[in-house]
Amino acid sequence: MSDFAQQIEHLRPHLLRFARTQLRNDAWAEDAVSETLLAALERPQSFGGQSQLKTWMIGILKHKVVDQLRRHTREATILVGEDGEDLDDALFLADGHWRDAPQDWGDPDAACSRRQFFDVLQACCENLPPVQARVFMMREWLELESDEICLELAITTSNLWVLLHRARLRLRDCLQVRWFNAAPASIEPA
Amino acid sequence: MKNTLTCREATRLLLEDEEHELPAADRLALQVHVKICFACERFVSQLNFMRRATRAWRKHSETDDGESGRS
Repeated sequence: MSDFAQQIEHLRPHLLRFARTQLRNDAWAEDAVSETLLAALERPQSFGGQSQLKTWMIGILKHKVVDQLRRHTREATILVGEDGEDLDDALFLADGHWRDAPQDWGDPDAACSRRQFFDVLQACCENLPPVQARVFMMREWLELESDEICLELAITTSNLWVLLHRARLRLRDCLQVRWFNAAPASIEPA
Repeated sequence: MKNTLTCREATRLLLEDEEHELPAADRLALQVHVKICFACERFVSQLNFMRRATRAWRKHSETDDGESGRS
């Protein structure tokens, strides 16, 4: 195996983790990673060495992840209703006031300096209902525009907004419970 | 335009604001509400927190070599 091929193969676990987080389906993630490795091996000359190899590979992988999503959208049966009720009813009183006022979460940089925080964030994303998780990741990780997401998933923009609305409220709820309400030891600075 | 929003309505608009630019009337009503409502002001901070944290997480995942947990 050439040196280049070895370096690329060495990145496989890292790429797989990234793809799994995105796709939440091991078979699809494996396919996306294999296609990425293949693309890299077929065109080593397009890696100019100007960026880190890993960054270049992640760039290719993002495209392959979108390809997978596109390919499997038909299988995924997108139904906005399947994600269940809005959290809103639990969060607000009948008169529209907060049941419990949102807490002060402090400085994001402080939380992000702790590795466990990302584990919690990832777990919270994985706990989202599948369609919410998918649109959230497409939006925040793959940085796709709303129009592209709607096209890929064959949903309307108002469907997309509802899904993202629900996803963000659930994520907020999960972070509150699993990070901010967790044992004080876990939120002390590293 | 409604000039008073409930917290529930303000929250919906704040979440919508993450996705697309709000109509001027909504934006104004929202600005007023957040100025006078500490709970919704906190919610705005939480949205900012989540946005920055997600970005940091993505960066971390793109560059993490999987070894840092043991270092």
